[in-house]
Amino acid sequence: MSQNRVDEYRRKFVMALGGTAAAVTVAQGFILREANAAGEVSSRPLDKAVTSDKRWGMLIDVTKLTDGGAGMVEACKKEHGWGNEADSDEAQKTHWARVVKVTDKLTKNSFSLPVMCQHCEQPPCVDVCPTGASMKRADGIVQVNKHLCIGCRYCMMACPYKARSFVHEALHDQKPYSPRGMGTVEACNMCIHRIDNGQLPACVEAAPDAVIFGDLNDPNSTLSKTLKDIGGKQIRADLNLNTGVRYHGI
Amino acid sequence: MASQAIIFRETKGSKGFFTLLAVLGVFLVLGAIAFFYAEHHGHHVTGMNNQTVWGLPHVFAIFLIVAASGALNVGSIGTVFSKKLYQPMGRLSALVAISLLIGGLIVLVLDLGHPDRLIIAMTHYNFKSIFAWNIILYNGFLALCGMYIWTMMDRKVKGFYKLAGFSAFTWRLILTTGTGSIFGFLVSRDFYNSAVMAPLFIVMSFAFGLAIFILVLHFAYKWTERELGEVVMNRLRNLLAVFICGVLLLELARHLTGLYIAQRLGVETFILRDGGIYTQLFWVGQILLGSLLPLGLIFCRKLANNRTALLLAAAFTILGGFAQLYVILIGGQAYPLTLFPGAEVSSGYFDGAINSYAPSIWELMLGVGGVALALVMVTIGVKVLRFLPDSLSDAMVDPLK
Amino acid sequence: MTSKFSNILLAAALAFAGLLAGCDSAPPPTNLATAKQKAEQCVEPTAEMRRNHMGMLMHQRDATMLEGIRTKQHSLKECVNCHVAPTKDDGTPLHYGDEQHFCTTCHAYAGVKIDCFQCHADRPEVAQDPNYQHTVGSAEGHHFTQGVTAAAEPTAAEVQMVAQPQQGAAK
Repeated sequence: MSQNRVDEYRRKFVMALGGTAAAVTVAQGFILREANAAGEVSSRPLDKAVTSDKRWGMLIDVTKLTDGGAGMVEACKKEHGWGNEADSDEAQKTHWARVVKVTDKLTKNSFSLPVMCQHCEQPPCVDVCPTGASMKRADGIVQVNKHLCIGCRYCMMACPYKARSFVHEALHDQKPYSPRGMGTVEACNMCIHRIDNGQLPACVEAAPDAVIFGDLNDPNSTLSKTLKDIGGKQIRADLNLNTGVRYHGI
Repeated sequence: MASQAIIFRETKGSKGFFTLLAVLGVFLVLGAIAFFYAEHHGHHVTGMNNQTVWGLPHVFAIFLIVAASGALNVGSIGTVFSKKLYQPMGRLSALVAISLLIGGLIVLVLDLGHPDRLIIAMTHYNFKSIFAWNIILYNGFLALCGMYIWTMMDRKVKGFYKLAGFSAFTWRLILTTGTGSIFGFLVSRDFYNSAVMAPLFIVMSFAFGLAIFILVLHFAYKWTERELGEVVMNRLRNLLAVFICGVLLLELARHLTGLYIAQRLGVETFILRDGGIYTQLFWVGQILLGSLLPLGLIFCRKLANNRTALLLAAAFTILGGFAQLYVILIGGQAYPLTLFPGAEVSSGYFDGAINSYAPSIWELMLGVGGVALALVMVTIGVKVLRFLPDSLSDAMVDPLK
Repeated sequence: MTSKFSNILLAAALAFAGLLAGCDSAPPPTNLATAKQKAEQCVEPTAEMRRNHMGMLMHQRDATMLEGIRTKQHSLKECVNCHVAPTKDDGTPLHYGDEQHFCTTCHAYAGVKIDCFQCHADRPEVAQDPNYQHTVGSAEGHHFTQGVTAAAEPTAAEVQMVAQPQQGAAK
C-alpha cells in the first residue's frame, strides 16, 4: 500500500474520531440541557462570540452548605491549581475563593459562606484598570486578560471582596485550560473554560444541591425563578454593584 | 527693575560634583539590584502580599510624584502670579519638578508585576480608569515642564513664557487632583473614598515640593559657592509654613468627617488610636515631627533668619510627608475590608484581621534609588545647562531694599 | 585615517551581509516527528506556520479572551498538545526550558524571547488525561473536522494501520 493511501486512511480515522467527539459536544451544546439541580449550561457554539443576551450568575444557598462551602473552594483549587505556591508566605499565596465565617456583633447569629469574585455588573476592578486587562465579558463574567495585565494591583485595591490575588512567584505546569503566571493578578473567572464548553463551574458541580447556576437575563431559567421565589442577597449590596453571585441565608 | 540682569550659569565640574554623583550612583546601583532581584524572583521577596498590595515603593513613588508637581510651584508663582522675586528660580523649579516626577515614576514602574509591559500601559488605555488618566497627565506634565524651561532659556520663544507657565501650572493642579483621586475613587475602602483626597494631595504637593526645593536650592548654592540671600529664603520660609498649615487643615477635615460617619468610625479609630505603628507614625511622625516642629522652627522668633532652622524645617516636612503617605497607603490597607457591616468576620485568609506589612530591604533600596535618580538628574541638569542664577543675593533679587 | 575608517565600514558591512546570509540558511531542525504521528500537515502550510504562527496565536488569544471563541485551529493549547510529547526519560513531556521542546528549538535559534509560557502550560497534561492527544480534531472549527459528517467509520484494517503510526511517519 502506498504512503498516500496510508495517510488517507489515517486522516479518515482521525476525522471519524473527531466526528464522534464533535457529535458529543454538539449534543451537549446545541440542546439546552434541561435544568438539573445545579442549573443550565451554555449552548453557544465554540466559534460564535459571546453576547450580552445571557448573563451568567449563581445562587448559593448557604443553609444547604453543610461545610460552609469548603468543598466548593477545594473543587476550585483543584480545577485551577492555585494556592500551592512554594515560595510565597500565607498572606502572599493566591486565593480565588475562601470560606468566611460571619458572626453578628449583637445577635451572635453566625453562618459561613464561600466568598470569591462576585462578578459585578458594575465591577470596580474593571473601572480602575489602566490597561483594560481587568474586563467584563459580554455574558457578565469578570476576568483578567493577563496578556494586558501589567501587575499594578490597582484592581486589588478597588475590589470590595478581596477576590483578587497577585501571583508572587514563577509558576510551572499550570493547567492547560487555566493559564496563571507571575506578576499578574488573577481571580475566579466562573470557570469560563467550562462554561464555554457547556459545563458547569467546578464549584457548582461540587455542591449541586446548594448552588444553582444559570442565566440571570432569562426570567424562565431555574436560577431566575428560584431567585424570584426565595430571594438572593448580595454581599455589600450598599455599594450597588449588582453582583452576579447571590446568596440565600445570609 | 533690577539694574543688574540675572545671569544664569552652569555649575563647574568640580571635585564635589563628581563626589556627589558617585555617592548618588551607589544608591542608583542599589536600586537597580533591588529591581532585578525582585523582577527575577517575583514579589514574594518583597513585603507586599495579597492584603497589602501597595507597599513602600508606592510610598516613595507617590511622595516623589506629589512633590514633583509641588516643586513647580516656585516657578509658577513667578510666572502666573508675576512675583518678580520668584522668577529667577523658575528654571530650577521646573528642573526639580521633572526630575522628581521621573524618579517617582521609575519606582512605580519598576515595582509593577510586569515592568516589561510598560509599552502596554502606553498603548492600551481604559479611559474610565483614573490610573490611565494619570499616565497621560504624567507625560503631559513632563512635556509642559520641558516647554516651560525652553521659554525661559531661549529668547526666541520668550513670547510663549506666560502661556507655557500658565499651562504647566494648570496641568500640575489637574495632575495632583488625579493622583489624589487614585485613592479618592476607591469605593470599597472607607479610609480612601472621598473627594477630599484630591485637594489634600494638592496641598501636600505644595508642602513637600517646596521643602525639597528649599533643600536643593540651599545646597546647590552652598556647594557651588554662590550667594543665596535671606530675602529669597525668608519668602520660601513663610510659604512653607502656609502650606504645612494647609495640609493640617485638610487632614483635620478628613479625620473629623471619618469620625462623624459611623461607617468610617472603625478605620478612623484604628488610625488615630489603635493602629500601633500607624497611630505612632500619624501622631509622632506626621503631626508632631512633620508639621508642628517645622512650624515651630519657622515661627520661633529666636530662629528668624536662621538658615539651619529653615533647612531642618524643610527636612522634617519631608519626613512628615513620608510618614503621612505611609499612614495613608499602608495604614489604609492594614485595616480589613468590611464584608458585612455590623458583623465580625473570620477566615483562613485574613478576613476581619489587621493586615500585616513589613517592608523588605529590596523595597527600600528601590525607593531610595528613585530619590537618587531624581537628585542625579538635578545635579547633571544644573551642570550642563544654565539653570542656576549666578547669584541670588539680597541686592540682586531685591535691589530696592 | 579615511582608509582605516572605510576598512572598518567594509568589515562591518561584510559581517552584516554574513549575518543576513546566515538568516537565509536552513532553519533549525524542528522536531516534527511527534506531530507527524498525528497528522501529515499542521493546521496551516509549514511555511505559513513558520512565518506567521505568532500572528495567528495573537488573533486567537484576543478572540478567546474577549469573545469566548474557543475554536481549536489556532489554539496554543492544541499546538502544545500536538507538538510536545512525553519524551523525557521519566516519561513526562518536555518543558519550554528544555532544549528539545518544540518551541524552544526554533526560538533559541532565532533568538526570540517569548512570555507565553509564564502563564500557559508548556506541555500537555498527560498524567491527568492519557487521551490528551485525541483533542486534535475533536471539536468545532478545527480543520480536521471539516467534512466530518461525510467521513465513514474506519475499518478494522484502518484502525490497525493508524495504531502503528511510526511505520508511516518513518517513511
